[in-house]
Amino acid sequence: MSTPSASDPRQPDFWRRRTGLIMPLLLLVTGIVLAVGTVTMEVPDNVASPGPQLFPTLIAGGCFVFAVLLAVDVWRRPEPARVATRAAAAENPAPAAADGTDAADAADDPAATAAPEPLRVRSNRPAVLGLVGTVVAFIVLLLPLGWILAGAGLFWGVARTLGSRRTVFDIFLAIAISSGIQLAFSAGLGLNLPPGILEGVF
Amino acid sequence: MDSLSNLGDGFLTVLTPMNMLWVFVGALLGTAVGVLPGLGSAMAVALLLPVTFSLDPIGAFIMFAGVLFGGLFGDSISGILMNTPGNSTAIAGTIEGHKMAQSGRAAQALAASAIASFVGGTVASLLVVFFAPSLARLATLFGPAEYLALAVFAFVAISAVVGESILRGLTSLAIGLAIALVGIDGMSGASRFTAGMPELFDGINIVVITVGLLALGEVITVAARRGTSEEAKLITSTGRLWLSRREFRLALPAWLRGTAIGVPFGIIPVGGSEVPTFLSYGTERRLASRKPGSMFGKGAIQGVAGPEAAGNATAGTAMGALLALGLPTSATAAVMLAAFRQYGLQPGPLLFERASELVWALLASFFIGMVVLLILNLPFAPLWAKLLKVPRHYLYAGITVFAMLGIFATSSKVLDLVLVLAIGLLGFAMRRYGLPVAPVLIGVILGPLAETEFRRTMAVSEGDPLALVSSPISATLYIVLALGVAGLLIQRARTARAQRAALETAA
Repeated sequence: MSTPSASDPRQPDFWRRRTGLIMPLLLLVTGIVLAVGTVTMEVPDNVASPGPQLFPTLIAGGCFVFAVLLAVDVWRRPEPARVATRAAAAENPAPAAADGTDAADAADDPAATAAPEPLRVRSNRPAVLGLVGTVVAFIVLLLPLGWILAGAGLFWGVARTLGSRRTVFDIFLAIAISSGIQLAFSAGLGLNLPPGILEGVF
Repeated sequence: MDSLSNLGDGFLTVLTPMNMLWVFVGALLGTAVGVLPGLGSAMAVALLLPVTFSLDPIGAFIMFAGVLFGGLFGDSISGILMNTPGNSTAIAGTIEGHKMAQSGRAAQALAASAIASFVGGTVASLLVVFFAPSLARLATLFGPAEYLALAVFAFVAISAVVGESILRGLTSLAIGLAIALVGIDGMSGASRFTAGMPELFDGINIVVITVGLLALGEVITVAARRGTSEEAKLITSTGRLWLSRREFRLALPAWLRGTAIGVPFGIIPVGGSEVPTFLSYGTERRLASRKPGSMFGKGAIQGVAGPEAAGNATAGTAMGALLALGLPTSATAAVMLAAFRQYGLQPGPLLFERASELVWALLASFFIGMVVLLILNLPFAPLWAKLLKVPRHYLYAGITVFAMLGIFATSSKVLDLVLVLAIGLLGFAMRRYGLPVAPVLIGVILGPLAETEFRRTMAVSEGDPLALVSSPISATLYIVLALGVAGLLIQRARTARAQRAALETAA
């Protein structure tokens, strides 16, 4: 699979095959946050030893160690050079295991290697961005607009980024679902959801 | 026979129309979530946690029992019919189950799996009824050092045994432990990593973490995979739902063997049913190969019956370990522990005294739930499969809406919604780069316990580290752990050497 020059950082896909380095980076940041927080922690005077700083110190240390080890692991064993195309990956659907084995990692598929210009679709970035954007919009709009509208928008947006193309039908479905939840929650369970601009209607 | 009369009282509590309704609703919801690919009982319980807030604890836990086992019944349906297991616990059963479906025996595979779940779950629940009280009595001998040893055992076991790579497991564990640090330190009152925000003084709510990691993380993963592996084909199940006498004769010993393999794994903290289900699959395969005409590879009924029974048996005894020791041995048990804490209950030896009505009602509802689930699953499995025909974008949009609703309904804090998104992204990144999620949950749940018990031990012994290993129970636990890890490392080294040798001879 890997060519002799695969470990050369000048290779165009060198970094693309090692996007997994995000995880050690995240660990590193976590470790730094923990370390800074531990040093600057205001500890009450009369604390029995071992105090509240011991565990954060240990875990920060662990974060640094695992960050280095994981980075080495990702560096030495990059992901396969070729990426499954949409069509090729759809032919061999792998079980969606909860332990994180990526379905599209079967990149040594002959159909994928035959693709002239393989696209990196194993992470469908527009879909992920659309989904995250929808959730962010929901969080921002929940209090001002109220549950019914914000919740309907969330359902509609997620359905759309996941591939629904029945725009108008979805609007009605989304409003039906969020109104149904509002009814079940406030009438049935007695929980309060933010009414927003529809306050007074319910 | 205290256990039996207590259990009788439990049945009396559950057999009211209202509580029966909760069992039924729980079983229905659990199966529904279990059927959905990638979502299992842990997430079903986490999602329902906020919704059950206005119920009384007994009603809520009865419902959780239905959800818990419903998830395990349901996850094999999508595995058998679509080759996409509902959860990692169903992977082993899917291997032969899907082959059976391909050769036109989908109905029998579903029946074998439903009965297997029933047998495994019922036997395990019986064992819990008879042994959990004695286990709880044993646990009263445990002091801080012993609880620390148990937590360390759980940390190492779940990180090292479950995942493919020990490094990745430990990395996940470190992430979980780090998340658990946020909040006011209970022993000293020092505020840790809260950035001065009062919303964080109580720490990050466990519901936020589980829903973020398991539900939102999965939805983002589904979005990322869009267009790659969606088009899995659904095999329709037709024909007789009942097993022929020959099939029954093949499946019966497999059910029992699977149960026997699954039962001990509920008490050992190795993070759920993956290990026992694959052990059971391997056993059935080896046993079948000794006789002529092995059906393995072509759809062997034992290959479905064994692992499914093992999975449910593990889940059953895991609940026993949770109730009696307060120790979660799987992600689902960890979420259940969070559920107990939401109601101000601490599982462990004292639970049997303080909340005995709840405990026995919960145990009784295991049995009732099992019967309800058998009825729901045996004749209606093909109906459940229809759920897989609902367009995936609506299913996951609904899950997202429900997840956000649940989070907001619990706390009414917008910050929690931001946190759940952040943790969801973390869950996605971990799935994407092959880091197991279960150790994070165990770290979050047991991290504070480990820290408190460690500091208590050290305070009592005035800083003498020998106090950590001086009691026979904790010393034994550490020795077993050391032997287990050593054995695992040797085995991995051997496999690696064998693979290298095979590569060299091939080259």
